[in-house]
Amino acid sequence: MQHKTKSRTFRRVKVRTINGTKTTYQRRKPKVGTCPETGEILKGVPRALPGKMKTMPKTHKRPERPYGGVLSSSATRKKIKNKARELEL
Amino acid sequence: MYEPGRVCMKIAGRDSNKLCVIVDVIDANFVLIDGETRRKKVNIKHIEPLKKTLDIKKGASRADVIKAFKALGKELKDTKPKKSTERPKKKKVKKIVEKAPKKAVKKEIKKETAKTDDSPKKEASSVENPKTETPKIEVKEAPKKE
Repeated sequence: MQHKTKSRTFRRVKVRTINGTKTTYQRRKPKVGTCPETGEILKGVPRALPGKMKTMPKTHKRPERPYGGVLSSSATRKKIKNKARELEL
Repeated sequence: MYEPGRVCMKIAGRDSNKLCVIVDVIDANFVLIDGETRRKKVNIKHIEPLKKTLDIKKGASRADVIKAFKALGKELKDTKPKKSTERPKKKKVKKIVEKAPKKAVKKEIKKETAKTDDSPKKEASSVENPKTETPKIEVKEAPKKE
């Protein structure tokens, strides 16, 4: 018996064939990205396998703003607001 | 609070974390800004006003904003709209016309060379001394193969 079939690291997918059904094994998706401050699910960050993420352009992988793909939009607003109030011009 | 000349920090969008000045008040909710950001109509919720103000008239141009921003010790780039250029459509058509005859010429040359290559081989195998019959170019090729 293969390790692949024994453990649950791979996802089991049933595929229809002419003779009936056949189980195939596929990689599980990576976890959803979350904001470390608010715990929100990050929007605009895809749950693709690392091989597929390599082929994607940068603009498809995270929102185009400071801290994009790391913090949520509400957390960045708070952070930049506090930064602006302490700013001395 | 939100009057022309007020320095603000952009909070949302790709221009966030950049300084700007209010140039014009459009509405109770919207203002026109310019500065390190693009010249843009924005919602008041997307900017954070600061204590500092600049000497700017209502509806000031980009050049005036650049002058005023030197008081903050920041130099801005002068953005100019790009000139529209025509697409080179005619050239593309010409290239296609030129390519077609070139390929045909190449094929003909290959055929000729193939014919010439075949002839000395047969002669070299059949006839021992091809110097008398074949031209000068074929004589040069024959000794290399031997």
